[in-house]
Amino acid sequence: MEFRPILSAMLRNKTGVFLVGLQIALTLAVVANAVFIIMQRVEKIGRPPGIDSANLIFVQSYGFGPNYDHRDTVQRDLDMLRAIPGVVSATSTNGIPMSGGGMQSQFGETPDPQKSNTVANLYFLDEHGVDAFGVKLIEGRAFTEQEVQYNPSPNNSDFVPAVIVTRDVAESLFGKEPALGRTVYDTLGQSATVVGVMENMLGAWVSFEKPSMVMFQPRIPNGPTVRYAIRTEPGQRDALVAEIEKKLSESNLNRAVTWVRPHTYWVERSYRADSRMVAFLSVIIGLMVCVTALGIVGLASFHVSVRTKQIGTRRAVGARRIDIIRYFMIENWLLTTGGVALGALLAFAFSHWLSTAYSLPPLQPMYVIAGVGLLWILGQIAVFVPARRAAAIPPAIATRTV
Amino acid sequence: MFTYYFRLALKSLRRTPVVAALMIGAIALGVGVCITTLTVYRLMSGNPIEHRNDVLYSVTLDNWDPNQPWDDKQPELPPTDLTYRDAMALQESDIPVRHVAMRKGPFVVEGDPATGVKPFLIEARLTTKDFFPMFDVPFQYGGGWGADADRGSQRVVVLSKETNDKVFGGEDSVGRPVRLDGKDYKVIGVLAHWEVTPKFYDLNNGSFRDVEEAYVPFSVGIDDEVQSAGNINCWRAQPLNSFQDFLNSDCVWIQYWVELKDRNQAEAYQSFIDNYVREQKKLGRFERPLNNHLRHPDEWLKVNRVVERDNSVLVGLSFMFLAVCLLNMIGLLLAKFLGGAPLVGLRRALGATRKAVFQQHLIEVGVIGIAGGALGIGLAALGLLGVRRLYENYDALTHLDMTMALIALAIAIASGVLAGLYPTWRVCRVQPASYLKTQ
Repeated sequence: MEFRPILSAMLRNKTGVFLVGLQIALTLAVVANAVFIIMQRVEKIGRPPGIDSANLIFVQSYGFGPNYDHRDTVQRDLDMLRAIPGVVSATSTNGIPMSGGGMQSQFGETPDPQKSNTVANLYFLDEHGVDAFGVKLIEGRAFTEQEVQYNPSPNNSDFVPAVIVTRDVAESLFGKEPALGRTVYDTLGQSATVVGVMENMLGAWVSFEKPSMVMFQPRIPNGPTVRYAIRTEPGQRDALVAEIEKKLSESNLNRAVTWVRPHTYWVERSYRADSRMVAFLSVIIGLMVCVTALGIVGLASFHVSVRTKQIGTRRAVGARRIDIIRYFMIENWLLTTGGVALGALLAFAFSHWLSTAYSLPPLQPMYVIAGVGLLWILGQIAVFVPARRAAAIPPAIATRTV
Repeated sequence: MFTYYFRLALKSLRRTPVVAALMIGAIALGVGVCITTLTVYRLMSGNPIEHRNDVLYSVTLDNWDPNQPWDDKQPELPPTDLTYRDAMALQESDIPVRHVAMRKGPFVVEGDPATGVKPFLIEARLTTKDFFPMFDVPFQYGGGWGADADRGSQRVVVLSKETNDKVFGGEDSVGRPVRLDGKDYKVIGVLAHWEVTPKFYDLNNGSFRDVEEAYVPFSVGIDDEVQSAGNINCWRAQPLNSFQDFLNSDCVWIQYWVELKDRNQAEAYQSFIDNYVREQKKLGRFERPLNNHLRHPDEWLKVNRVVERDNSVLVGLSFMFLAVCLLNMIGLLLAKFLGGAPLVGLRRALGATRKAVFQQHLIEVGVIGIAGGALGIGLAALGLLGVRRLYENYDALTHLDMTMALIALAIAIASGVLAGLYPTWRVCRVQPASYLKTQ
């Protein structure tokens, strides 16, 4: 099949071809960038949390009034929680990983506060902490009961004897050297020993560039707020949420149980902006692809209708149905190819704007290539219906209105 | 003539119902998507205190680490909040019409055991008295407190409508006692329903959070050593072993706003805070270069980048989508108008002027634009219904306001007419003779 006659036929309807070509170009630019953004978000949401997120429940209790005894309440609550069937482990904690709220502080490998450049997100846990969060220790051990500190004053600058850090914190502090047994210093020059190194877990802020800078400290958080992390047997979580809420609020009238929630509540909340973006973009991509496909169908139908006589003539002089179909398929392929060539340029220009104005990472060419493939296939499918109608034009039509 | 052309337009659209539906559908989809994302964007970028924008100012002082700016990405910005000691020093000034120092703190509300309301935790705003008149806070019952409460730690409280509904069943509770954190407070006011989006007065603790559930004098929170529920940011290595240590520290956690009646007062206040910082520099504090700002709410929202970048990207993408929809419509319109060219040729041969043909086709395009716009508003309402499921606590998203609907209609008609100009122009250039020949 010759391209030249197809091209010259297309040029007879320059405007229509140009319009649909521009549509294809814009579609490619938007789809490639949108899919690229979606993939980043999906990847971000899919990162392993590093803790046993699916089986964790968090509780917040807030004590009030003169009769509230914080230390005693925490001990009684934990004893009660650990005795509930289906509970694997429980610890008190100051914060909730991936919740968007938390505490962070600076540490260094020397007592010099000017050199404490390692910022870590802090979790105050007891000797059950490692087990209750469900993190994976690479080396070292969990805290011992003797290491767990408690200072009833909400304002105190005490440090702890031992800490457990993530792999990222260990590397930030000591580089490639082994971290186990080393000493870390807080900004006041107080020291603690690294007794354990754990696999990375996500800290409080999921959108941080380095989200896994986490340090565990053996402490009972001072009151009147305390949180508990409760790890359950698989499948028991939802039933236990109700049971824990009931038992805790009945056990002590000098405090309010603010909430009892599965950890996934915060995971979902922290990633909501990302899932929202994925949803929005998917809808826009879907609509855009549909509209463009309709545009292709419209243009091809128009071409079929104005060329009815010409097609009839071709059929009369021996062209087969398949030749007619092929003619329109090739015409569409040429149109799409022109469109995507322009579209690839637009896609990178658009990505350049996004990365300068909104500091998004630059578009990977892979997404443009995939987009080109998609539009080629989409075009061929869209043009098939009018092409088949064209092929159905009887040769006799050529003889009719001449 | 207009009604005749209008009838002609309807007739023409009915002649090719599929093409007409596709064109109206394309405009409606494009407009619907744009309005949906624009509504979200407008809400995020809105200024809820626009009517007082000229007189209100946020106050920021740069007491941060000499070796590191507060925000690495915007190193020119001072911290959003003040230290306690600086906030208290600024309260001494008599330049501003009004000024407010405030923060957020947790309280447990003990319900009445008789009504079976269990103790529950609320977030309260601990603030000086000017909060209510400065930010135009609407009251349902009673009002705020006076200067004596700010000085003397009176245990008074203003409840939000929602908290009052929960504790007092929505009754006028002014004068009644309520127990907060084991202490007796007297209710002196109840707010009407109050929504502030974005929550401009406290951007350090979530720009889109709900307003607080109760309001307590700032001094009460200090005397009772109420912990802060908002972010506390510290940079200096200093031991904090008592509440007093914390109050004297360089940690920032207090939001500070002033009301200044005119430019002169604003200039006077600016030199007041600059002089204050210069004095403090002599004491070894404020080691960074002088960087104190008074910002109006609109500028404050802007420098703090309250609008998520995602929203701006989405608006950009939606307008590209609208462009695709319009291209689609132009293509269809062109095919349709040129398909009707023989008819135009006939009308022209019978004496219709170009202008008349142009008018007639433009009206047809206008009809498509209006129909597309109306359908687009419907789609946007549907889209917002979907969007609301994706956002939490965004009550203002529950409706498509009239302005937005009008914008939608304007976009649709304008884009319809713009898109229709070329095909209309093309059809007007039809040479009557060329179409009459083949008849």
